[in-house]
Amino acid sequence: MKQLLSPLYLHKRLSLTLVLLAAFIWSLFSVTWSRDLLHAGGWATTVQILEGLIKPDLSPDILELAVESSWVTVVYAVTGMTVALIIAFVLGVLGSGVLVSSRPVRIVTAGFSRAVLAIIRAIHELVWALLFVAVIGLSPYAAIFALGIPYGGILGRIFADMLNDVPGEPIQALRAAGASRLHCLMYGYLPLIRSNMISYTMYRFECSIRSSAIMSFVGLGGLGYQIQLSLADLHYDEVWTFLFFLIAIVVLIDAWSNSLRKRLVL
Amino acid sequence: MPLIELNNITKQFERKIALSSLSFHVKKGEMVALIGPSGAGKSTLLNTLAGITAPNTGTYLLDGVPIQHYKKRKELAKKIGVIRQQFDLIASLPVIQNVLAGRLGEWGFFKSMLSLFLPQDKQLAANALNRVGLLDKLYDQTSKLSGGEQQRVALARLLVQSPAVILADEPVASLDPARAEDVLAMLTKLVKEEGQTLVMSLHSVEYAKKYFSRIIALRDGEVFFDLPTSEITKEHLAELYLLKEMAL
Repeated sequence: MKQLLSPLYLHKRLSLTLVLLAAFIWSLFSVTWSRDLLHAGGWATTVQILEGLIKPDLSPDILELAVESSWVTVVYAVTGMTVALIIAFVLGVLGSGVLVSSRPVRIVTAGFSRAVLAIIRAIHELVWALLFVAVIGLSPYAAIFALGIPYGGILGRIFADMLNDVPGEPIQALRAAGASRLHCLMYGYLPLIRSNMISYTMYRFECSIRSSAIMSFVGLGGLGYQIQLSLADLHYDEVWTFLFFLIAIVVLIDAWSNSLRKRLVL
Repeated sequence: MPLIELNNITKQFERKIALSSLSFHVKKGEMVALIGPSGAGKSTLLNTLAGITAPNTGTYLLDGVPIQHYKKRKELAKKIGVIRQQFDLIASLPVIQNVLAGRLGEWGFFKSMLSLFLPQDKQLAANALNRVGLLDKLYDQTSKLSGGEQQRVALARLLVQSPAVILADEPVASLDPARAEDVLAMLTKLVKEEGQTLVMSLHSVEYAKKYFSRIIALRDGEVFFDLPTSEITKEHLAELYLLKEMAL
């Protein structure tokens, strides 16, 4: 039966393709093909941007500004990650339930912690930034919390999952040797996930640099803010200088995390 | 008074019967080998003896006290120590931390946290490692050790824990014959020196005969025979490992 029908299915798919193609072509007729459709200065702008790429603005003023904003960006990212690590560690350990022996208590505490982690990471760091700017104004704390809270949610969830995925045998052996649950966390779970935890945290740190740069678009200072200002002034050569600094930071962190991972590999 | 006293122990998983009305006693200082075909219930029995698996029916007295009365981990850890095939060390910790894990039942919170950075009771760990011949590996990362060495680290941990009974679940199954002999000889020697009691499951009847004074054979969750090593004949063993289809 199926074999009999298969040419029919093939036929159906072909006709669907034709219908969709026809719809696409027909839709092209509804576009007003005027000169206004495309950005008239687009080509010139492209050339300007490429010129900036080849000749970034390396004047002392801009370099100084770039170093200063890079510093701000990195500081926000580092402090934000510190907040994130505290949140992630506490809620991650609670969310994994490895410290609680009674089943009902574990379901409640783990469920609650995982729910909190889900809520705080569901809101993007940019939204957190706008909320914090509205509440505490354009202060560095706004940037730090805006980064730390959602990143804490992301890291905490991964930590909790890593703890749950730890193989049971070594932990059971520790329990048999008389270790308490807290002992098992310190002597079993954490050493077992340590290298994964560090490499994932380093990856997230890299992401937080980018987030920190983007976040400064809301006016919190840093590389993103400078990029935005230079873009508004159409100074593409300056934009490229700042972008190169951003790339350099990310590359440096990547190199650092690689060397860390090599040392920690089992 | 026997150290281990099992009376009519039954354990059922879903619909499968793992242990059915099992009874035997083990005296202090006895060396018992558990043999039997795969799926005979050796691991379930050892888990029951360790207090990890609770039997459905029957009583289990450990040193005269029902096992469920050992509420505190550290009390049980003084009575019973477990060694398994291989996965029971924390590979990312240094050897000394794995050995000192045997002390965790004794230590309070601060001492055990401090020990992660500044190993406590170092002499104890060094002595234990010396006895298993691994003193030079004190600070090596455990994952860098070979299988046989890792199993000896587990032995050193047991030495530090110093329980009355040692339960060993196929401790040499993943080692090559030379290493297996080495670990077995060492474990039985240490148990004798410490005056401990040993119950070990084994695949190899040869090793069981060589190192143990008493052999308990399990088949389909029941005691098939329970004899001193000297009384075991070829017929006993042939029947024990006979395939079911052929037995019918």
